[in-house]
Amino acid sequence: MSTAKPGTSIPATSELILRGLFTENPVFRLALSLCPAVAVTTSVQNGLMLGGAVLCVQVLSSATASLFKKWINSKIRIPVFTIMIAMWVTVMDMSLAAFFPDAYEKVGLYIKLIVAFAIIISRLELFAVKQPIVPSIFDGLGMGLGFLLALVVTGAFRELLGSGSLFGYQLVPFKPFLLIVLPAGGFFTIGFIMALFNWIDLLRGKALPKASGGQHG
Amino acid sequence: MSETIGSGGCGESNSNLGCAGCAAAKPTKTTQLGKPPGGMDLFKIGLGLTVVCLLCAGVLGGIYLVTEPIRLQTVHVREEKMLRSLLGLPENAKMEEVRRYRTSGMQTLALTSRFLVNLNEDGREVSRQAFPENLVSGAEEEKDKWVKEHAPEAEYAGRFFVGKEGDQIGGYVVEGITSGYKSKVRFFVALDGAFSLRGLEILEQEEDPGLGAEIAQPYFKNQFAGRSAEELSKMKVTKDPLDGDWKAALENFGNTPFSAWLQENRGRLSQHQVVHAITGATISSEAITSGVKKTVANFRRRVDLLKGAL
Repeated sequence: MSTAKPGTSIPATSELILRGLFTENPVFRLALSLCPAVAVTTSVQNGLMLGGAVLCVQVLSSATASLFKKWINSKIRIPVFTIMIAMWVTVMDMSLAAFFPDAYEKVGLYIKLIVAFAIIISRLELFAVKQPIVPSIFDGLGMGLGFLLALVVTGAFRELLGSGSLFGYQLVPFKPFLLIVLPAGGFFTIGFIMALFNWIDLLRGKALPKASGGQHG
Repeated sequence: MSETIGSGGCGESNSNLGCAGCAAAKPTKTTQLGKPPGGMDLFKIGLGLTVVCLLCAGVLGGIYLVTEPIRLQTVHVREEKMLRSLLGLPENAKMEEVRRYRTSGMQTLALTSRFLVNLNEDGREVSRQAFPENLVSGAEEEKDKWVKEHAPEAEYAGRFFVGKEGDQIGGYVVEGITSGYKSKVRFFVALDGAFSLRGLEILEQEEDPGLGAEIAQPYFKNQFAGRSAEELSKMKVTKDPLDGDWKAALENFGNTPFSAWLQENRGRLSQHQVVHAITGATISSEAITSGVKKTVANFRRRVDLLKGAL
């Protein structure tokens, strides 16, 4: 866990991206936004669409927060962040409705919930508000990609085991393990993948993350 | 993130961990709450928030102006496609939109693709005016504006579509609106020439995902298909669970031509003369059922009046 100390050096771009994808993956490492992650990942396609929307909102919000950080009164930064995120979410909502009506029909209801996703506001609070715009965009990109990856992997696993298909194409004519597609199965899936992340860390000789990873509260 | 006051520019809520930049800027510990903000501070905070909200509102307004016409266009195209598939009409069949307007008197105005017809309460035609052709495929607002120009007190009251094969009426699709559990639910009911239901399509709803939103699922909405108007008026909502065989049949709806589906499921239809409510969403289920009933009953009454205009 190498969160940059505010005011100190800016992490390299590749590190920012990799951190969001793996070492601090929002779902598998930070366990943020688990509810929506479980709710939509019944299929790869849903995961892909919501992940894409979160990616856009994260990058745009990080950029905006970083760009306007000088003018944001620190006493009201939380409501200001929330308004900014809500604005970008609404922009996404309106654009999806206009340009991708089929996708919107499927994930439209979840798009509005992105406003309350913990990962987005926590990146504004922990990173964007202290860093220049370019690293903030890459940080947002990394975290957004990490969330997208998490949703797609979870979605693929659940769709394959729960419905026996991938991207809607039936691969096996039966449902191997129906429980996985139900909400409880979503938590199981994410738990298993978290365990896998930890196992890989162990194999690579790294210490496991401590339970009190308090920096991301 | 509860203790925001006094934590200054430092983001970490855990200020015990200490963050270098913050501690340097503020020598005093910031764990205890500071003084409540004074009048000037409150004013600044309020002003700041207002400015942020106004800026965001401006951005959203701009985006809305760009995306809304495109969204309406896509909605229009999708509706057209849905109408055809609901009625199962061939490619060469014509779909004509009829918009109804109410006036303060007992008169009804009906706007077809060619005329604005004024009918009295007995359904007798009082007057008719030609409707300019260039507006026929235009936006709804344009049509309403045109009607308002010719009948200032006219108020939009609903619309339906008539599917025509040559001069023969192939069926109707009626738009209905009902109050769901959360907000308005807009739907299309497709009727054949004898007012039997050919299908139901939910256009807009904001019910809870996984509960009320299931009204748009085939296993719920297709329970209305294949019912005559009389059967529909007697249908009650039951909380009994939907059995697997009937559910499979309902989900198969649309995979085969309507007549084949009807033929295959005649027995099941007469066996299930009820609407099986969605588990956990009885209110939504009841709302749709009563909304569909009302829409069909009202339409049958009205279409008699409008017959001369079609």
